[in-house]
Amino acid sequence: MDTLNELIGGFAAAMTWQNLVFAFLGCLLGTIIGVLPGIGPVAGVALLIPLTMNLDATGAIIMLCAIFYGTAYGGTITSVLLNTPGEAASAITTIDGYAMTKIGKAGAALTIAAVGSFVGGTIATLGLVAAAKPLGEMGLMVGPPEFFALMVVGISLLVALAGKSMVKALISGALGLLISMVGIDPVAGAPRFTFGSDNLLDGVSFVAVIVGVFGLSEILSYRKDSAASIVHAPGLRSLLPNRTEWRRSAPSMARGTGIGFGLGLIPGMTGSVSSLLAYVAEKKFSKHRNELGHGAIEGVAGPETANNAHANAALIPLFTLGIPASPTIAVLMGAFLQQGLTPGPTLFTEHSEMAWAIIASLFIGNLLLLLLNVPLVGLWTSILRVPASILTAMILLFMVIGAYTINFNVFDVFVMIAFGLLGLALRHLDIPLAPMVLTLVLGPLMERSLRESLEISQGDFGIFLNRPISMVLIGVGVLIVLSPLLKLRKPKALNEDPET
Amino acid sequence: MTTESLTTEPALKGRVARSVLAGIGAFVAVGVYVLVSSIGLGLWTTLGPGPGLFPFAMGVLLVAMSAVWLVQELRNPSETTEGVDRGLVLAVVVSLAVLAGVLDLIGFQLSMFLFLMYHLKVRGRRGWPSSLIIALAGSVGAFYAFNYGLNVTLPTAGIPLLNSIGL
Amino acid sequence: MPRIRIAAAAVAAAALFALTACGSNAGAANSAGDAFPKKGKSIELIVSFSSGGAVDTAARLVQPILEKELGTNVEVVNKPGAGGQIGYTQLTSAKPDGYTIGATGSPSVVVSPLDPARGAKYTRTSFQPLGRQVIDPAVIAVQPDSPYKTLKELLDAAKAKPKSMTASTTGLQTGEHFALAQIQEKTGAEFAPVHFSEGASQATTAFLGKHVDILVANVSDVTELSKQGKARVLGVMTTERAPSLPDVPTFKESGYDVEAGTVRGYSAPAGLPDAVAKKLEAALKKAIEDPTVVKKMEDLGLQTSYLSGADYAQFWAGQEEDFKKVLPLVQKKD
Repeated sequence: MDTLNELIGGFAAAMTWQNLVFAFLGCLLGTIIGVLPGIGPVAGVALLIPLTMNLDATGAIIMLCAIFYGTAYGGTITSVLLNTPGEAASAITTIDGYAMTKIGKAGAALTIAAVGSFVGGTIATLGLVAAAKPLGEMGLMVGPPEFFALMVVGISLLVALAGKSMVKALISGALGLLISMVGIDPVAGAPRFTFGSDNLLDGVSFVAVIVGVFGLSEILSYRKDSAASIVHAPGLRSLLPNRTEWRRSAPSMARGTGIGFGLGLIPGMTGSVSSLLAYVAEKKFSKHRNELGHGAIEGVAGPETANNAHANAALIPLFTLGIPASPTIAVLMGAFLQQGLTPGPTLFTEHSEMAWAIIASLFIGNLLLLLLNVPLVGLWTSILRVPASILTAMILLFMVIGAYTINFNVFDVFVMIAFGLLGLALRHLDIPLAPMVLTLVLGPLMERSLRESLEISQGDFGIFLNRPISMVLIGVGVLIVLSPLLKLRKPKALNEDPET
Repeated sequence: MTTESLTTEPALKGRVARSVLAGIGAFVAVGVYVLVSSIGLGLWTTLGPGPGLFPFAMGVLLVAMSAVWLVQELRNPSETTEGVDRGLVLAVVVSLAVLAGVLDLIGFQLSMFLFLMYHLKVRGRRGWPSSLIIALAGSVGAFYAFNYGLNVTLPTAGIPLLNSIGL
Repeated sequence: MPRIRIAAAAVAAAALFALTACGSNAGAANSAGDAFPKKGKSIELIVSFSSGGAVDTAARLVQPILEKELGTNVEVVNKPGAGGQIGYTQLTSAKPDGYTIGATGSPSVVVSPLDPARGAKYTRTSFQPLGRQVIDPAVIAVQPDSPYKTLKELLDAAKAKPKSMTASTTGLQTGEHFALAQIQEKTGAEFAPVHFSEGASQATTAFLGKHVDILVANVSDVTELSKQGKARVLGVMTTERAPSLPDVPTFKESGYDVEAGTVRGYSAPAGLPDAVAKKLEAALKKAIEDPTVVKKMEDLGLQTSYLSGADYAQFWAGQEEDFKKVLPLVQKKD
């Protein structure tokens, strides 16, 4: 009851109409900026921080949270409408989000994304209210061996992405992992596969790869005669999801919330891991898994819910342990510091009113995002009414600016072009693209945690089986892999999924 | 197994498509290159895996899977997917590459303007007014909006003469 | 105070010159470098470790004052990995135009180019030091429920059973790794190092989750933890006790002659135009010595110890000599 009273107090402090106006403005500006290429949540928040300088601490942090939600959602808008993800966390949404756009369901996709974000964010914040301390400690139980085991589960889900051929999925996965290895070895410091290029020392930019492989290769594979190349602007009626879509989204949102929330608690896990694994989970466990990849609502609902649940859950380690789990949270932590607050357990004891006001503002931010964006869906989707030749030129412009601004270097534009061609080749060879993205994201985390684990055990692989959590996780991974292993031998038989 | 008999369609019996062979060849080549260079990076050190271990495993996987794929294709060639529109691929890729190549030289505004004009007027066959307006908005307009409104610096011309007139 | 006055005069002169230059020929101004920073162009401050560590925190505290002083946005960007090498590489390969600066910490920045196995693309001369901010002594801490109450007990146990306990570092050849090597050299106590190459926040997290036995870190990393009773700090590797940890004895007091720590400051890629360097240096000095920043740093356990760019450069060169001698201790043996 105590908690509830304090939370109500927090709402009272946060809900001055002045703060609400700022939160609303922050959300709106954030969304607009998030839609623009080259500005993801981190840059967006950093850009708009000056606006918050003159506000009091509560107001400033409320506005920051609102900006953050806005920019993240803005990135989703471009993923769905233009097939160019604004940031890593919404990259996987392009697959089904853009496929939905092509069949005239862009509005439904955007609405579900907003609702999913709201659901995931709100439930994660409830978790923060209800059990921040034990949850924070749960996150700590995940050490390097457990982290590695989790990555094994993630990689094992590659089998779900296999589609027609396991062999091709593995090729795609191996390519992704190799791409992620380019650059300075994150442990020992030796350059790997950089071909002597200084530009490659920092690795291949994830966003440039994603934009190339998904966005550009899609444009390159257009054919005049094919119906798939034409984008349909949604009619008024299809702006909102229909009843079936709502019903189908619910379980995906539940799964997305669970995945995003759980992974968000673990320091060092990124939001893109959550959205990717949520997508893969849909591919493996959803009732309509066969439709995924062709414009299924689950492919939007799952990852979008997961990445917002992750973002909010990641505040738990910040509040309870003082550990910022992601770059965006670090920006938020910077704002805390500048307001004279030290993030960590003392926040609740020394500045309890403030802490609860911030939590209340998280709820408000989530709600505003929903209230603001659902009515705007119609406006955003009207972009699709633009004639195809202009739309293509606009998408190319977005891609170039997006790739260039990653490092303010033309090199990334070339990377994007190269990966556009690679994506085209893979499409042509009927090799699925999703496994590549999965290993591209998970690979480096997996390698790092493996090497850390083996340093802890001093070279003994038994460490993964001696510890209960990692043992269970590895077992789960093995089970997932074993189930469809037989399919390796008869690729064609996979066309009909046993699911009926 | 009924599925087995269903999938072996006699109509598809034939030669393996050239593009598939080229793809398999490319993957094997990449795999072998990775294998060789990862050994040089060191597979194992005194404390656990070295920098070359993961790449090595991936190289093995790539080569092995390509081999399996080849066997599958030889037994049962897959139908080739529809070809690509070469003209379009060439136009988009070359125009992008040229754009990226000259971006630092003649600046964002001029290069993007020309790029957009090419895609709108030449390839898109749009009228002059709409092409000009959109190309200007996407180049000069975007430049000013990003540079001054958003603090995101887009490249200016490296050639002093162009730079001095504000490009 | 003559130095300050000269700096101030230089800045004023530069500003005046910039103003006139703007008026007469706006196009040529950016080649002269005096109009730095251009209004609306952000300055990127690269932090080579992940968010949440002391380097990152210090940078985020300095950032708003820098923004005020320079009149433009300063963006803190984390580029963690390989014990700082990834961020340093990015910093030194940036254009030396003042729009990219970075936090540099020794020993990582000093040592990484010395070991050929790392293949670092930079050397000491690739950096232009702009100012030193803090010296952060190394500490050694154990779990709160650990049987070892004093440094001697811990080190004796480690001597009796070498490598029986794991100890965190923030990467190969970073300050913590050197501290461990020096302990081993001077006392014979050997721990098994676990390298968390993204920075102190990863190392601390693993320690809190009890995945490593010993936390080797800096004073600033453990000040808060020790207050909350989540770590028992057994020794500080410096000559004097740390003000934020008054009850923790130094290694010397316990009879071990070990001194180690990290020194942090800010640098730009070498080749900065003089006017730009002066302006950045002056702004950094203002920011580092700002009383509110100094106070906030103290709260975190960090003692501000400013050095100008030139002095920092000299200090850096001295460190390079020192670390060359002890480098073999932390080089990988294959």
